[in-house]
Amino acid sequence: MTREFTEAEFMIAQCARLLEDQKTAFIGFGMPQVAAMLAQRLQAPQLVQVFEFGAIGPIPLTPFVRGTMGGPANCYRSIAWTSMNQIFAQAHVDLIDYGVLGATQIDRYGNINSTMLGDDFTRPKKRFPGSGGANEVASYCWKTIVIMLHERRRFVPRVDFVTSPGYLDGTPGARERAGLPSDTGPWRVVTSKALFGFDLESREMKLIGVLQGLTQAQVLAEMEFKPVVAEPLEALAPPTAAELRILREEIDPSRTIVGRPAQ
Amino acid sequence: MEVLSAGLGEFRFTEPDAIRAWMRDRKRRDFIDKTLTAGEAVHRFVADGDYVSFDFSSYTRGPLGLIREIIRQRRRDLWYCAKFTLMESTLLVAAGACSRIDVGFMGLGESLNRAVEEGRVKVVEWTNGALTLRHLAGGMGVPFLPTRALLGTDTLKYSGARVVTDPFGGKPIALVPALNPDVGLIHVHQADLYGNARCFGPGVSPLETAMASKKVIISADEIIDHEEIRKDPAKTTIPYFMVDAVVPAPFGAYPGGVQGLYEADYEHFAEYTGLEREGRLAEYLDKYVYSVGSDLEMLEKRVGLGRLNGLRRRATIREGYR
Repeated sequence: MTREFTEAEFMIAQCARLLEDQKTAFIGFGMPQVAAMLAQRLQAPQLVQVFEFGAIGPIPLTPFVRGTMGGPANCYRSIAWTSMNQIFAQAHVDLIDYGVLGATQIDRYGNINSTMLGDDFTRPKKRFPGSGGANEVASYCWKTIVIMLHERRRFVPRVDFVTSPGYLDGTPGARERAGLPSDTGPWRVVTSKALFGFDLESREMKLIGVLQGLTQAQVLAEMEFKPVVAEPLEALAPPTAAELRILREEIDPSRTIVGRPAQ
Repeated sequence: MEVLSAGLGEFRFTEPDAIRAWMRDRKRRDFIDKTLTAGEAVHRFVADGDYVSFDFSSYTRGPLGLIREIIRQRRRDLWYCAKFTLMESTLLVAAGACSRIDVGFMGLGESLNRAVEEGRVKVVEWTNGALTLRHLAGGMGVPFLPTRALLGTDTLKYSGARVVTDPFGGKPIALVPALNPDVGLIHVHQADLYGNARCFGPGVSPLETAMASKKVIISADEIIDHEEIRKDPAKTTIPYFMVDAVVPAPFGAYPGGVQGLYEADYEHFAEYTGLEREGRLAEYLDKYVYSVGSDLEMLEKRVGLGRLNGLRRRATIREGYR
């Protein structure tokens, strides 16, 4: 199927649509940054982005340059420049509404793995860079949004390593029993094909929307577990012309993050 | 307090009274000129087997010049604190300088991950927040601090954190042990001869790293008069008595940038990334570390004034960084 947009563009646009104006959002490295920038240029000009190295409320300059998260372009026109201990304290007392994170692997209860694959910690089959600040974000923020490519190997019944907490084993009150702050946890999983929430009773991942033109079966085929499926399913709009223009012309003209549609 | 569970990870812990004794005996209160070359500072203050902490990122205000000097002097068996670290953790492992890493977030490229898979470097799992909190505990002289992160995860299981019942509220709470690194490495915008230092812009934990570390090496892009410090004390990030050495180091964060002074050198990062992907970091280290006697020589011969001036010109966003 030829499309006029890329998987990354759809994921980013979907994620950006979830972010509200004049709310605080803890922004992770990479794609979450691009989504927050897009939201700021559309419906949420006063989205207060906060970063783990302590910047609060910047209006990042475009184009986006990967790597410079703590540099002057991303920290432009901040409200305050603080430190990691201070900004995690703000999240700890729950002043941060949203957390936006990337993930390597996720399971049916929204537990995130960004540490390793395999079952021997000392000799992993595949090692990744680790939690960074994701564990804190997933532990503290009111609503955590995970943004990730929709690939079968990334959606597994049980992650090999719980780097950052979702609803743990899915039993009622599991997060609170572990000592995590009440009423927190993963809220949405935004992928290149679909949108998920979590069932309020079972805490299982719940398919709530599918990209227009795709079927439910196509989405479920790319997952190793079967999520709860909402009735009716939302049809998710592809990226709008305005979203694509801002992404391609302002934020990422070199297309290093958003890529180019297949010819 | 009842211990509900304990992580399996090994960790360095210094008893608070031992830290008090160290600070009493070793941290000088008199105003002495602490300036040293990077070579002298690393020779005197970094030993094989030391636990080393770094602030803030290889792209922004990181003490990359000091890292290169540690590699040049062939330190071995370091235990490295990877809170928010990228390129430098990869370089230390590639050079054989580092045998353990507390993670945070580590590596730039895949080669460090391969080293972990092959058992060439040991890791203990933490998070960026847990590691900075451990520095705060170490800097405060308390044995631990509580946090509501880590709970319920494998990260906790493979860390050195413990879960106890909060003696006040009764809920489970994670405790992280104080961390007092042997060496703290911090690059700053400005410092005076005594070690009073200024960092502008956000940072991970420059102050906590200086508070907690037994030996603190500051590298500074600019050395300023002590009088300037006294005229504007709100700008002081780190007071002098925490600091053991001040290394005058223009472009000391290269190839990273320093906010308001110079931009990161992305061509250099591209060169690094290319070599890293091809398993040729030995060539990178030879070119930028071993084949030159100092960082100054590296900047002159391997980078050049024209390119450095270009990085200064590209630092057009100055507001807030002075």
